[in-house]
Amino acid sequence: MKELWTRFSKAFIVQDRWKMYLEGLGNTLLIALIAAAIGIAIGVCMAMIKYINKKTGKLKVLAKICNFYITIVRGTPVVLQLMILYFVVFAFWDNGIMIGAITFGMNSGAYVAEIARSGFESVDDGQMEAGRSLGLSTWQTMRSVIIPQAVRNCLPPLFNEFIMLVKETAIVGYVGIYDLGKIPGLIQSRTFDYLFPLLIAAVLYLIVVLALTKVLHMIEKRLAKSDRNGGGVTNGK
Amino acid sequence: MENKKPLIEVKELSKSFGSLEVLKSVSVDIMQGEKVVIVGASGSGKSTLLRCLNCLEDPTGGAVIFEDENIADPKVDINVHRQKMGMVFQQFNLFNNKTVLQNITLAPVMLRKRKLRQEKIRHFFRKGEKPTLTKEQILEEENGKAMKLLARIGLEDKANVYPSTLSGGQKQRIAIVRALAMNPKVMLFDEPTSALDPEMVGEVLDLMKQLANEGMTMVIVTHEMGFAREVADRVLFMDGGVIAEQGTPEEVFGNPKSERLKAFLAKVL
Repeated sequence: MKELWTRFSKAFIVQDRWKMYLEGLGNTLLIALIAAAIGIAIGVCMAMIKYINKKTGKLKVLAKICNFYITIVRGTPVVLQLMILYFVVFAFWDNGIMIGAITFGMNSGAYVAEIARSGFESVDDGQMEAGRSLGLSTWQTMRSVIIPQAVRNCLPPLFNEFIMLVKETAIVGYVGIYDLGKIPGLIQSRTFDYLFPLLIAAVLYLIVVLALTKVLHMIEKRLAKSDRNGGGVTNGK
Repeated sequence: MENKKPLIEVKELSKSFGSLEVLKSVSVDIMQGEKVVIVGASGSGKSTLLRCLNCLEDPTGGAVIFEDENIADPKVDINVHRQKMGMVFQQFNLFNNKTVLQNITLAPVMLRKRKLRQEKIRHFFRKGEKPTLTKEQILEEENGKAMKLLARIGLEDKANVYPSTLSGGQKQRIAIVRALAMNPKVMLFDEPTSALDPEMVGEVLDLMKQLANEGMTMVIVTHEMGFAREVADRVLFMDGGVIAEQGTPEEVFGNPKSERLKAFLAKVL
């Protein structure tokens, strides 16, 4: 018992090592947040291009580019994408956290594109037809009718993607960025004990993910409730 | 109809989906104030013809002349013309994320606000008059107009609810006044009562009859033969992508000439 406590203390308390975990956690969340913002921007743009292309036949070249991008990003390991960006594309730049965030943003964008596309496609075609029949343009209808309904429909899977991001970003340790996943290795190199550093990092991840999952459930509940109260996207048709 | 110019002139209109030819060189004139009912079996091309009138389906050949312009031409700004052609759908297609009132005001407010912005820019460069109305006045005007329309169909109390809480008949009547809010010159109805429970068909048809009596030009695809007989000035019978027979309701229903029409009427009457 005493021995376990010393090991824990060495992993967490001695030399204020808990600060390292917090700093790592901070970096992890920072990377995930920036990545999510980039991912949503890229993903929603691509989804919109693909949706408009499918509905009107316009934007053919852009839609092709989007498909190419999605295929490449989803078809290669994110570790390789990270190394390509870190060691090749941004070789001149020493801000690892930003490079990590950009990598995961670009990666997540391809997945968000699919989520958002299914969100757009879950909106009934009649909604666009009704808007167009009133003399609104495609974009005016998108803005006022399609996008609000699509966002509602894909809020839960989008948030889920963010939770995934928090965990997945752990591989930025590969290129020496000090995120939460990297910290146990650093501490082990001083204490020669892996058990507690790993456990502590895992527990911290778990706490964050559970908290975010709680938020996700709250969002889902809210949506379901406003569905019942008549703010619904589906009208049973 | 004397020698007046038609409101919509359809000239040799054709439409194919891939190799499937749905409309085969259809020509028809729709006069100002005329009520034209299109009947026919499913797959005969009647809905497609209607949807080509406001280019919701792009015709693959021919022309649709509306106000001296061929709106089937992709170079024409179709949105301007659609504002004058109201359309009512089988599935109502109310905007699910908007309240009833917003459903009615969305398009007029959006389009008028856009025009206002353009006028402001022109005025800024001293190329036009100062706009007389503000955004708020436009909103107030359209809200007032929408409430009047809702009062007309007895649904003022539903102004602030979402469509999902309404019955099919209520939805469809709101869809009709939503189209009316644009002050259209013609109303297109695509099987407006086909998705309704039987007890709600009447309220929708009543509203359509009111419109007809007020002199609205109407093109209606429907299976309600009784309604067609009562309201139509002219009935078009479509079969296999062409207008197989047309005439007054008495002629078409009372004295059908072609075998196809006889067979069709035997099934639906």
